[in-house]
Amino acid sequence: MKRPLPLIVGVLSGLVVLAAMFFVPQGGSILATVLNWVIIVAGVALLVAIASLVLTHLRFIAKGKKGFLLSLVLVISFLATLIFGLLRGVDDPVFLEWVGAVIRPIETALLGLVALVMMSAALKIFRERGWSALTVSFGVSAIIFLILGLGFLQNLNFPALNEVITFVEGLPMIGARGLLIGIGIGLLMMAFRVLFGMEGSGND
Amino acid sequence: MSPSELITLIIGIALTVMIFSYILGDRLFFGIATHLLIGVSAGFLALVVIQKIILPYLITPLTYETGTGFFLALVPLTLSILLVLMLFRSGTQAGSIPLAFLGGALAALAIIGVTRGTLAPQILSTIGRFAPEQLMHETEPQWSAILEALMILLGVIAVLFVFHHQGQSKAGDVVKPVFLEGIGSIGQIFIGLTFGALFVGLFSSALIALISSLSEIIDFITLWF
Repeated sequence: MKRPLPLIVGVLSGLVVLAAMFFVPQGGSILATVLNWVIIVAGVALLVAIASLVLTHLRFIAKGKKGFLLSLVLVISFLATLIFGLLRGVDDPVFLEWVGAVIRPIETALLGLVALVMMSAALKIFRERGWSALTVSFGVSAIIFLILGLGFLQNLNFPALNEVITFVEGLPMIGARGLLIGIGIGLLMMAFRVLFGMEGSGND
Repeated sequence: MSPSELITLIIGIALTVMIFSYILGDRLFFGIATHLLIGVSAGFLALVVIQKIILPYLITPLTYETGTGFFLALVPLTLSILLVLMLFRSGTQAGSIPLAFLGGALAALAIIGVTRGTLAPQILSTIGRFAPEQLMHETEPQWSAILEALMILLGVIAVLFVFHHQGQSKAGDVVKPVFLEGIGSIGQIFIGLTFGALFVGLFSSALIALISSLSEIIDFITLWF
Protein backbone atom coordinates (compact mmCIF):
# COMPACT_ATOMS: atom_id res chain seq x y z
CA MET A 1 0.00 0.00 0.00
CA LYS A 2 1.44 3.38 -0.99
CA ARG A 3 0.65 6.60 0.85
CA PRO A 4 -0.21 9.40 -1.62
CA LEU A 5 1.63 12.42 -0.14
CA PRO A 6 5.21 10.99 -0.06
CA LEU A 7 4.57 9.45 -3.48
CA ILE A 8 3.47 12.79 -4.97
CA VAL A 9 6.42 14.65 -3.33
CA GLY A 10 8.94 12.05 -4.62
CA VAL A 11 7.58 11.96 -8.19
CA LEU A 12 7.27 15.77 -8.35
CA SER A 13 10.79 16.44 -7.05
CA GLY A 14 12.25 13.92 -9.52
CA LEU A 15 10.31 15.28 -12.49
CA VAL A 16 11.22 18.89 -11.63
CA VAL A 17 14.95 18.03 -11.45
CA LEU A 18 14.72 16.03 -14.69
CA ALA A 19 12.85 18.82 -16.51
CA ALA A 20 15.23 21.50 -15.20
CA MET A 21 18.20 19.48 -16.45
CA PHE A 22 16.74 19.09 -19.93
CA PHE A 23 15.90 22.80 -20.29
CA VAL A 24 19.21 24.11 -18.94
CA PRO A 25 19.15 27.90 -19.58
CA GLN A 26 15.50 28.34 -18.54
CA GLY A 27 15.49 25.83 -15.69
CA GLY A 28 18.94 26.74 -14.33
CA SER A 29 17.73 28.78 -11.35
CA ILE A 30 15.03 26.20 -10.44
CA LEU A 31 17.62 23.41 -10.61
CA ALA A 32 20.04 25.38 -8.40
CA THR A 33 17.29 25.99 -5.79
CA VAL A 34 16.11 22.36 -5.75
CA LEU A 35 19.71 21.05 -5.56
CA ASN A 36 20.32 23.47 -2.68
CA TRP A 37 17.32 21.97 -0.86
CA VAL A 38 18.59 18.43 -1.65
CA ILE A 39 21.99 19.27 -0.12
CA ILE A 40 20.37 20.69 3.04
CA VAL A 41 17.91 17.79 3.46
CA ALA A 42 20.69 15.23 2.81
CA GLY A 43 22.86 17.00 5.42
CA VAL A 44 20.03 16.98 7.98
CA ALA A 45 19.33 13.28 7.16
CA LEU A 46 23.00 12.55 7.91
CA LEU A 47 22.76 14.45 11.22
CA VAL A 48 19.58 12.53 12.13
CA ALA A 49 21.37 9.23 11.35
CA ILE A 50 24.33 10.23 13.56
CA ALA A 51 21.97 11.35 16.35
CA SER A 52 20.13 8.03 16.10
CA LEU A 53 23.46 6.14 16.38
CA VAL A 54 24.51 8.11 19.47
CA LEU A 55 21.06 7.75 21.10
CA THR A 56 21.14 3.97 20.54
CA HIS A 57 24.53 3.73 22.25
CA LEU A 58 23.36 6.01 25.09
CA ARG A 59 20.44 3.59 25.60
CA PHE A 60 22.95 0.66 25.73
CA ILE A 61 24.93 2.51 28.43
CA ALA A 62 21.81 3.38 30.45
CA LYS A 63 20.62 -0.25 30.39
CA GLY A 64 24.16 -1.55 31.12
CA LYS A 65 23.93 -3.93 28.16
CA LYS A 66 26.79 -6.37 27.41
CA GLY A 67 29.56 -4.43 25.63
CA PHE A 68 28.41 -1.05 27.03
CA LEU A 69 32.12 -0.15 27.49
CA LEU A 70 32.45 0.05 23.70
CA SER A 71 29.34 2.27 23.56
CA LEU A 72 30.96 4.49 26.18
CA VAL A 73 34.11 4.80 24.03
CA LEU A 74 31.96 5.75 21.01
CA VAL A 75 29.87 8.36 22.84
CA ILE A 76 32.87 9.97 24.62
CA SER A 77 34.94 10.14 21.42
CA PHE A 78 31.94 11.56 19.51
CA LEU A 79 31.27 14.27 22.12
CA ALA A 80 34.97 15.13 22.52
CA THR A 81 35.38 15.59 18.75
CA LEU A 82 32.17 17.61 18.45
CA ILE A 83 32.94 19.93 21.40
CA PHE A 84 36.62 20.36 20.46
CA GLY A 85 35.60 21.11 16.85
CA LEU A 86 32.86 23.57 17.85
CA LEU A 87 35.32 25.46 20.05
CA ARG A 88 38.21 25.53 17.54
CA GLY A 89 36.36 25.39 14.20
CA VAL A 90 36.42 22.59 11.65
CA ASP A 91 39.31 24.10 9.67
CA ASP A 92 41.58 24.60 12.70
CA PRO A 93 44.99 22.88 12.02
CA VAL A 94 45.39 21.67 15.63
CA PHE A 95 41.91 20.09 15.56
CA LEU A 96 42.58 18.46 12.17
CA GLU A 97 45.96 17.15 13.41
CA TRP A 98 44.35 15.45 16.43
CA VAL A 99 41.48 13.99 14.40
CA GLY A 100 44.04 12.72 11.86
CA ALA A 101 46.20 11.26 14.66
CA VAL A 102 43.28 8.99 15.63
CA ILE A 103 41.70 8.23 12.26
CA ARG A 104 44.84 7.73 10.11
CA PRO A 105 46.58 4.89 12.05
CA ILE A 106 43.30 2.99 12.57
CA GLU A 107 42.39 3.22 8.87
CA THR A 108 45.90 2.21 7.75
CA ALA A 109 45.95 -0.75 10.15
CA LEU A 110 42.45 -1.80 9.03
CA LEU A 111 43.60 -1.66 5.39
CA GLY A 112 46.57 -3.83 6.40
CA LEU A 113 44.16 -6.34 7.95
CA VAL A 114 42.23 -6.32 4.67
CA ALA A 115 45.37 -7.78 2.96
CA LEU A 116 45.21 -10.81 5.26
CA VAL A 117 41.42 -11.18 4.89
CA MET A 118 41.67 -10.90 1.09
CA MET A 119 44.29 -13.64 0.98
CA SER A 120 42.06 -16.08 2.85
CA ALA A 121 38.98 -14.97 0.86
CA ALA A 122 40.79 -15.60 -2.44
CA LEU A 123 41.54 -19.19 -1.36
CA LYS A 124 38.00 -19.65 -0.01
CA ILE A 125 36.42 -18.72 -3.36
CA PHE A 126 37.79 -21.93 -4.94
CA ARG A 127 36.52 -24.04 -2.01
CA GLU A 128 33.05 -22.43 -1.98
CA ARG A 129 32.37 -22.05 -5.73
CA GLY A 130 34.50 -24.88 -7.14
CA TRP A 131 36.27 -24.78 -10.51
CA SER A 132 34.26 -22.73 -12.99
CA ALA A 133 35.05 -20.35 -15.87
CA LEU A 134 34.76 -17.44 -13.41
CA THR A 135 37.00 -18.83 -10.65
CA VAL A 136 39.70 -20.19 -12.99
CA SER A 137 39.94 -16.94 -14.97
CA PHE A 138 39.98 -15.01 -11.68
CA GLY A 139 42.88 -17.10 -10.34
CA VAL A 140 44.87 -16.99 -13.59
CA SER A 141 44.32 -13.22 -13.93
CA ALA A 142 45.36 -12.60 -10.29
CA ILE A 143 48.61 -14.58 -10.76
CA ILE A 144 49.41 -12.90 -14.11
CA PHE A 145 48.77 -9.39 -12.77
CA LEU A 146 50.76 -10.11 -9.60
CA ILE A 147 53.74 -11.09 -11.81
CA LEU A 148 53.23 -8.08 -14.10
CA GLY A 149 53.00 -5.83 -11.03
CA LEU A 150 56.55 -6.80 -10.10
CA GLY A 151 57.76 -5.06 -13.26
CA PHE A 152 60.35 -7.78 -13.94
CA LEU A 153 58.98 -8.82 -17.34
CA GLN A 154 58.70 -5.21 -18.52
CA ASN A 155 62.38 -4.65 -17.72
CA LEU A 156 63.51 -7.51 -20.02
CA ASN A 157 62.95 -5.14 -22.96
CA PHE A 158 61.76 -7.68 -25.54
CA PRO A 159 59.57 -5.76 -28.03
CA ALA A 160 57.39 -8.83 -28.74
CA LEU A 161 56.92 -9.51 -25.04
CA ASN A 162 56.05 -5.86 -24.39
CA GLU A 163 53.33 -6.08 -27.05
CA VAL A 164 51.88 -9.18 -25.37
CA ILE A 165 51.99 -7.42 -21.98
CA THR A 166 50.16 -4.38 -23.40
CA PHE A 167 47.51 -6.69 -24.88
CA VAL A 168 47.09 -8.63 -21.60
CA GLU A 169 46.89 -5.39 -19.58
CA GLY A 170 43.99 -4.25 -21.80
CA LEU A 171 41.93 -7.43 -21.28
CA PRO A 172 40.37 -6.46 -17.90
CA MET A 173 39.00 -3.31 -19.57
CA ILE A 174 36.62 -5.47 -21.66
CA GLY A 175 35.04 -7.04 -18.56
CA ALA A 176 35.03 -3.70 -16.74
CA ARG A 177 33.25 -2.07 -19.68
CA GLY A 178 30.60 -4.81 -19.77
CA LEU A 179 30.15 -4.62 -16.00
CA LEU A 180 29.82 -0.81 -16.09
CA ILE A 181 27.20 -0.95 -18.86
CA GLY A 182 25.30 -3.71 -17.00
CA ILE A 183 25.40 -1.83 -13.69
CA GLY A 184 24.45 1.41 -15.47
CA ILE A 185 21.37 -0.21 -17.05
CA GLY A 186 20.41 -1.70 -13.68
CA LEU A 187 20.79 1.68 -11.96
CA LEU A 188 18.75 3.37 -14.67
CA MET A 189 15.92 0.85 -14.25
CA MET A 190 15.96 1.34 -10.46
CA ALA A 191 15.99 5.15 -10.81
CA PHE A 192 12.95 5.02 -13.16
CA ARG A 193 11.14 2.71 -10.71
CA VAL A 194 11.78 5.24 -7.89
CA LEU A 195 10.76 8.14 -10.12
CA PHE A 196 7.45 6.53 -11.08
CA GLY A 197 6.62 5.54 -7.52
CA MET A 198 7.08 1.79 -7.97
CA GLU A 199 9.91 1.66 -5.42
CA GLY A 200 10.98 3.70 -2.38
CA SER A 201 9.55 5.68 0.49
CA GLY A 202 5.98 5.85 -0.77
CA ASN A 203 5.54 2.29 0.54
CA ASP A 204 4.01 1.57 3.91
CA MET B 1 60.64 15.47 18.30
CA SER B 2 58.15 17.89 19.95
CA PRO B 3 55.91 16.64 22.82
CA SER B 4 52.75 16.83 20.66
CA GLU B 5 54.48 14.82 17.89
CA LEU B 6 55.54 12.21 20.46
CA ILE B 7 52.01 11.95 21.85
CA THR B 8 50.46 11.53 18.38
CA LEU B 9 53.11 8.90 17.57
CA ILE B 10 52.33 6.95 20.76
CA ILE B 11 48.57 7.20 20.09
CA GLY B 12 49.13 5.98 16.53
CA ILE B 13 51.25 3.01 17.62
CA ALA B 14 48.79 2.05 20.38
CA LEU B 15 45.84 2.16 17.97
CA THR B 16 47.73 0.14 15.33
CA VAL B 17 48.60 -2.55 17.91
CA MET B 18 44.95 -2.59 19.07
CA ILE B 19 43.76 -3.21 15.50
CA PHE B 20 46.37 -5.95 14.88
CA SER B 21 45.34 -7.66 18.15
CA TYR B 22 42.41 -8.98 16.05
CA ILE B 23 44.84 -11.45 14.44
CA LEU B 24 45.51 -12.95 17.89
CA GLY B 25 41.77 -13.42 18.43
CA ASP B 26 41.28 -10.41 20.72
CA ARG B 27 37.93 -8.61 20.38
CA LEU B 28 38.04 -6.03 23.23
CA PHE B 29 40.96 -3.85 22.09
CA PHE B 30 39.95 -4.21 18.44
CA GLY B 31 36.41 -3.16 19.44
CA ILE B 32 37.69 -0.15 21.38
CA ALA B 33 39.76 1.02 18.39
CA THR B 34 36.92 0.58 15.87
CA HIS B 35 34.37 2.28 18.16
CA LEU B 36 36.85 5.14 18.63
CA LEU B 37 37.10 5.43 14.84
CA ILE B 38 33.29 5.47 14.51
CA GLY B 39 32.89 8.06 17.30
CA VAL B 40 35.57 10.44 16.00
CA SER B 41 34.41 10.07 12.36
CA ALA B 42 30.76 10.66 13.34
CA GLY B 43 31.72 13.73 15.40
CA PHE B 44 33.85 15.13 12.57
CA LEU B 45 31.11 14.44 9.99
CA ALA B 46 28.46 16.12 12.17
CA LEU B 47 30.72 19.12 12.60
CA VAL B 48 31.38 19.46 8.85
CA VAL B 49 27.65 19.18 8.07
CA ILE B 50 26.75 21.79 10.72
CA GLN B 51 29.47 24.31 9.81
CA LYS B 52 29.60 23.84 6.03
CA ILE B 53 25.95 23.06 5.13
CA ILE B 54 23.40 23.81 7.86
CA LEU B 55 24.75 27.18 9.02
CA PRO B 56 25.47 28.81 5.62
CA TYR B 57 22.63 27.29 3.54
CA LEU B 58 19.79 26.94 6.07
CA ILE B 59 20.30 29.21 9.08
CA THR B 60 21.90 32.28 7.43
CA PRO B 61 19.06 32.78 4.84
CA LEU B 62 16.53 32.60 7.71
CA THR B 63 18.16 35.66 9.28
CA TYR B 64 17.22 37.77 6.22
CA GLU B 65 14.21 39.79 7.28
CA THR B 66 12.38 39.66 3.94
CA GLY B 67 13.00 38.62 0.36
CA THR B 68 12.87 35.40 -1.62
CA GLY B 69 15.93 33.94 0.19
CA PHE B 70 13.97 33.83 3.45
CA PHE B 71 10.89 32.18 1.91
CA LEU B 72 12.94 29.70 -0.11
CA ALA B 73 14.73 28.65 3.09
CA LEU B 74 11.37 27.79 4.71
CA VAL B 75 10.95 24.73 2.43
CA PRO B 76 14.15 22.91 3.51
CA LEU B 77 13.46 24.05 7.11
CA THR B 78 10.05 22.32 7.06
CA LEU B 79 11.53 19.18 5.47
CA SER B 80 14.35 19.21 8.06
CA ILE B 81 11.90 19.49 10.98
CA LEU B 82 9.94 16.52 9.57
CA LEU B 83 13.21 14.56 9.34
CA VAL B 84 14.15 15.40 12.94
CA LEU B 85 10.71 14.12 14.04
CA MET B 86 11.87 10.67 12.87
CA LEU B 87 14.01 10.48 16.04
CA PHE B 88 10.78 10.19 18.05
CA ARG B 89 8.60 7.12 17.83
CA SER B 90 5.43 9.10 17.04
CA GLY B 91 7.07 11.06 14.22
CA THR B 92 8.40 8.15 12.12
CA GLN B 93 5.65 8.58 9.48
CA ALA B 94 6.45 12.31 9.02
CA GLY B 95 9.98 11.49 7.87
CA SER B 96 8.73 9.70 4.75
CA ILE B 97 7.95 13.05 3.04
CA PRO B 98 11.53 14.49 3.12
CA LEU B 99 12.91 11.04 2.32
CA ALA B 100 10.59 10.80 -0.70
CA PHE B 101 11.75 14.27 -1.82
CA LEU B 102 15.37 13.16 -1.47
CA GLY B 103 14.72 9.82 -3.23
CA GLY B 104 12.93 11.45 -6.18
CA ALA B 105 15.58 14.15 -6.72
CA LEU B 106 18.46 11.68 -6.36
CA ALA B 107 16.77 9.24 -8.78
CA ALA B 108 16.51 12.04 -11.37
CA LEU B 109 20.17 12.95 -10.82
CA ALA B 110 21.10 9.26 -11.15
CA ILE B 111 19.28 9.02 -14.50
CA ILE B 112 21.22 11.98 -15.91
CA GLY B 113 24.51 10.92 -14.28
CA VAL B 114 24.35 7.29 -15.42
CA THR B 115 23.31 8.05 -19.00
CA ARG B 116 25.79 10.90 -19.53
CA GLY B 117 28.62 9.68 -17.30
CA THR B 118 28.60 5.89 -17.70
CA LEU B 119 26.36 4.43 -20.41
CA ALA B 120 27.00 6.91 -23.23
CA PRO B 121 30.84 7.06 -22.88
CA GLN B 122 31.19 3.27 -22.47
CA ILE B 123 28.92 2.40 -25.41
CA LEU B 124 30.47 5.11 -27.60
CA SER B 125 34.02 3.97 -26.87
CA THR B 126 33.06 0.35 -27.67
CA ILE B 127 31.46 1.37 -30.99
CA GLY B 128 34.16 3.98 -31.66
CA ARG B 129 36.65 1.14 -32.25
CA PHE B 130 34.83 0.43 -35.52
CA ALA B 131 35.42 3.94 -36.91
CA PRO B 132 37.00 3.65 -40.41
CA GLU B 133 40.01 5.77 -39.42
CA GLN B 134 40.80 3.26 -36.65
CA LEU B 135 40.40 0.15 -38.84
CA MET B 136 42.08 1.36 -42.05
CA HIS B 137 45.57 2.66 -42.64
CA GLU B 138 45.39 4.57 -45.94
CA THR B 139 43.67 1.88 -48.08
CA GLU B 140 44.97 -1.18 -46.19
CA PRO B 141 42.76 -2.80 -43.53
CA GLN B 142 44.40 -3.01 -40.07
CA TRP B 143 43.58 -6.63 -39.19
CA SER B 144 44.90 -6.41 -35.63
CA ALA B 145 42.71 -3.36 -34.94
CA ILE B 146 39.68 -5.10 -36.54
CA LEU B 147 40.22 -8.23 -34.41
CA GLU B 148 40.68 -6.14 -31.25
CA ALA B 149 37.50 -4.15 -31.94
CA LEU B 150 35.54 -7.38 -32.57
CA MET B 151 36.94 -8.99 -29.42
CA ILE B 152 36.00 -5.98 -27.27
CA LEU B 153 32.46 -5.89 -28.72
CA LEU B 154 31.95 -9.65 -28.25
CA GLY B 155 33.45 -9.47 -24.74
CA VAL B 156 31.09 -6.67 -23.70
CA ILE B 157 28.07 -8.50 -25.17
CA ALA B 158 29.17 -11.75 -23.45
CA VAL B 159 29.47 -9.97 -20.06
CA LEU B 160 25.98 -8.49 -20.54
CA PHE B 161 24.71 -12.03 -21.27
CA VAL B 162 25.98 -13.09 -17.82
CA PHE B 163 23.62 -10.50 -16.23
CA HIS B 164 20.73 -11.73 -18.41
CA HIS B 165 21.59 -15.36 -17.65
CA GLN B 166 21.65 -14.75 -13.86
CA GLY B 167 18.39 -12.82 -13.98
CA GLN B 168 16.68 -15.78 -15.66
CA SER B 169 18.25 -18.31 -13.25
CA LYS B 170 16.72 -16.43 -10.31
CA ALA B 171 13.30 -16.41 -11.97
CA GLY B 172 13.10 -20.22 -12.06
CA ASP B 173 14.20 -23.30 -13.93
CA VAL B 174 14.33 -22.02 -17.48
CA VAL B 175 15.94 -24.24 -20.10
CA LYS B 176 18.50 -22.11 -21.91
CA PRO B 177 19.89 -22.82 -25.39
CA VAL B 178 23.46 -24.18 -25.44
CA PHE B 179 24.83 -21.17 -27.36
CA LEU B 180 23.51 -18.81 -24.64
CA GLU B 181 25.27 -20.92 -22.00
CA GLY B 182 28.47 -20.69 -24.10
CA ILE B 183 28.27 -16.90 -24.45
CA GLY B 184 27.58 -16.64 -20.70
CA SER B 185 30.71 -18.72 -19.96
CA ILE B 186 32.82 -16.43 -22.18
CA GLY B 187 31.37 -13.46 -20.28
CA GLN B 188 32.31 -15.14 -16.99
CA ILE B 189 35.92 -15.46 -18.22
CA PHE B 190 36.07 -11.71 -18.95
CA ILE B 191 34.50 -10.89 -15.56
CA GLY B 192 37.01 -13.20 -13.85
CA LEU B 193 39.90 -11.45 -15.64
CA THR B 194 38.61 -8.05 -14.49
CA PHE B 195 38.07 -9.18 -10.90
CA GLY B 196 41.54 -10.77 -10.85
CA ALA B 197 43.19 -7.50 -11.94
CA LEU B 198 41.09 -5.50 -9.45
CA PHE B 199 41.96 -7.98 -6.70
CA VAL B 200 45.70 -7.54 -7.36
CA GLY B 201 45.39 -3.73 -7.28
CA LEU B 202 43.47 -3.78 -3.99
CA PHE B 203 45.71 -6.48 -2.49
CA SER B 204 48.86 -4.47 -3.36
CA SER B 205 47.46 -1.34 -1.66
CA ALA B 206 46.45 -3.32 1.43
CA LEU B 207 49.85 -5.00 1.55
CA ILE B 208 51.62 -1.62 1.37
CA ALA B 209 49.41 -0.39 4.27
CA LEU B 210 50.26 -3.54 6.27
CA ILE B 211 54.00 -3.09 5.68
CA SER B 212 53.80 0.63 6.55
CA SER B 213 51.93 -0.10 9.83
CA LEU B 214 54.36 -2.86 10.82
CA SER B 215 57.43 -0.75 9.96
CA GLU B 216 56.03 2.10 12.11
CA ILE B 217 55.79 -0.27 15.09
CA ILE B 218 59.33 -1.56 14.46
CA ASP B 219 60.70 2.02 14.14
CA PHE B 220 59.01 2.95 17.43
CA ILE B 221 60.51 -0.07 19.23
CA THR B 222 64.03 0.65 17.88
CA LEU B 223 63.64 4.30 18.95
CA TRP B 224 63.40 3.27 22.61
CA PHE B 225 65.45 0.06 22.79
